[in-house]
Amino acid sequence: MIDLSIYGSCTLDQDGCVTCGDTAIPVRVLEVHGQEALCEDRLGQRALIATDFVVPVAPGDVLLVHLGVAIARVKEASR
Amino acid sequence: MRYVDEFRDPKLIRALADEIARLADPGYHYRIMEVCGGHTHAIYRHGIKSLLPENIDLIHGPGCPVCVLPMGRVDDGLSLTQYPDVIFTAFGDMMRVPGTHGSPLEYKARGADVRVVYSPLDALKLAQENPDRHVVFFAIGFETTAPSTALTIMRAKALGIRNFSVFCNHVLIVPAIRAILDSPDMRLDAFIGPGHVSTVIGCRPYLFIARNYRKPIVISGFEPVDLLQSMVMILRQLAEGRAEVENQYSRVVPWDGNQAALRAMADVFELRPYFEWRGLGFISQSALKISEACAEWDAERRFEIPGVRVTDPKAAQCGEVLKGVLKPHQCKLFGRECTPEHPIGALMVSSEGACAAYYDYIHRAAAVAD
Repeated sequence: MIDLSIYGSCTLDQDGCVTCGDTAIPVRVLEVHGQEALCEDRLGQRALIATDFVVPVAPGDVLLVHLGVAIARVKEASR
Repeated sequence: MRYVDEFRDPKLIRALADEIARLADPGYHYRIMEVCGGHTHAIYRHGIKSLLPENIDLIHGPGCPVCVLPMGRVDDGLSLTQYPDVIFTAFGDMMRVPGTHGSPLEYKARGADVRVVYSPLDALKLAQENPDRHVVFFAIGFETTAPSTALTIMRAKALGIRNFSVFCNHVLIVPAIRAILDSPDMRLDAFIGPGHVSTVIGCRPYLFIARNYRKPIVISGFEPVDLLQSMVMILRQLAEGRAEVENQYSRVVPWDGNQAALRAMADVFELRPYFEWRGLGFISQSALKISEACAEWDAERRFEIPGVRVTDPKAAQCGEVLKGVLKPHQCKLFGRECTPEHPIGALMVSSEGACAAYYDYIHRAAAVAD
C-alpha cells in the first residue's frame, strides 16, 4: 500500500495554514456515501469529505483534501 | 517511489545536491523564487538551503493570501460585525490578523459574534442551524481554497439557504507572478511553481512565464527530493538555454488541473477588474468576486461595505519582503518589534508568511544556539 506521506505531511488535525492553499491532506477513501466519502489519513483519523470535484471515487482511492473538500484524486490510487 | 523515506533518502539527496553543484555556474548569482509559502517552510524545515551552492539565492514569493491582503479588506470584513444579526465566520488563521481596530479575535473579545470555522461548508451548516441569524464567511485563499467556497455557494443555492453570504477575498496566483515579473526592481532567473494550487489550475496557466518572459518554472512537491530535483530541472533548463513549464510533482498535479473544480469556480466567481495586494499594489484581474448568478450570496452586495484603505505601518517593510527585494531579517522590525507573538506585519502573523518561517527556523534556532 502506498505511503500517504508521499503526497504531503498534513493530517486531518494538523493541516498547516489552510489559507495558504498550497497545503492538502492525503487521505484514503473507506466508504462512499453519495457526494461524500468517509476518509482516513495516515494517522488513522477519519472525516467525511466532499467529493464533488473528484467523482467517481471508490474505496481505496487516495484523495488530496483541502478544507473538507477533495481537490484531487491521485494517479497511483489502488483502483 | 511509494514511501516517504524514499523522498528523504540521504544518498539520493546527496546525489541531487552534487548534480546541482555541477550544473550551477560558479560565476553567476542565481535568483530563484519559490512562489508558495508551503515551499518556503519545507525549504527551512528540511534544511534545503544548506545543500545549495552559495550563489543560488532562494527568493520567497507572494504565496500567502493572508500576507498579501491589505488591512483595509480586514476592516471591511469586520465592519459586518456591527450588524446585530450577523455571525462573522473565518478560518482560524485569520483570527489574529490585525485590522485598524483590532483582529477578529479582539472583536470577539469586545462582544462581536465572531466564530472560527474550519471550512466554508461549516459556515453554511451554522447558517442552517441559525435560521434567524445571517452568517457571513470571510473567504480568503488562492485557487486551492476557492473551489471549497464555490462548492459551498453551490450548495447554499441548491438548498435555498439565504441567510448565508461570502465576503470574497480570493486571489489568483498567476497575475501575482506576472506583476512580480513586471516589477522593475526584481531580477529572477526561474520559479519553483506551487504544488497544490496546480492540482486545481494545472500547468497550462504558467506557459506565459516560459513563452513571454523566457523564465523556467518547475512545479514542485514538498519533500526534500522533490525540491532538489526541481532545482536540478531548473538549472538544466538554464544551462541549456531552455525556458519551459515542467511538472516535477506529476504524482499529484495533472497538466490540465481539476476541470470539475475549475467549472464550479467559473460558475460561482467572476474576475474583479482590479484588486489591491499588499506590497504589490493594484493588480488587474487578480482576484475573484461572486458572480451575478450567485449575487444573493455575495456579502458585498447584501451589505454596505465602507471600502477602507489603510497604509501599512511605515516601519514594517512587508512590501519589499513580499516582492523578494528584502529578506525577512533585513526588515528593521524583524525579531525585535515584530515577532510571531506580537506581529506588526501580516508576514509574521500568518504561519505560512516568509517572516514567520524565518523566525521559526532561523532566528529562534540561532537564539537557542546562543
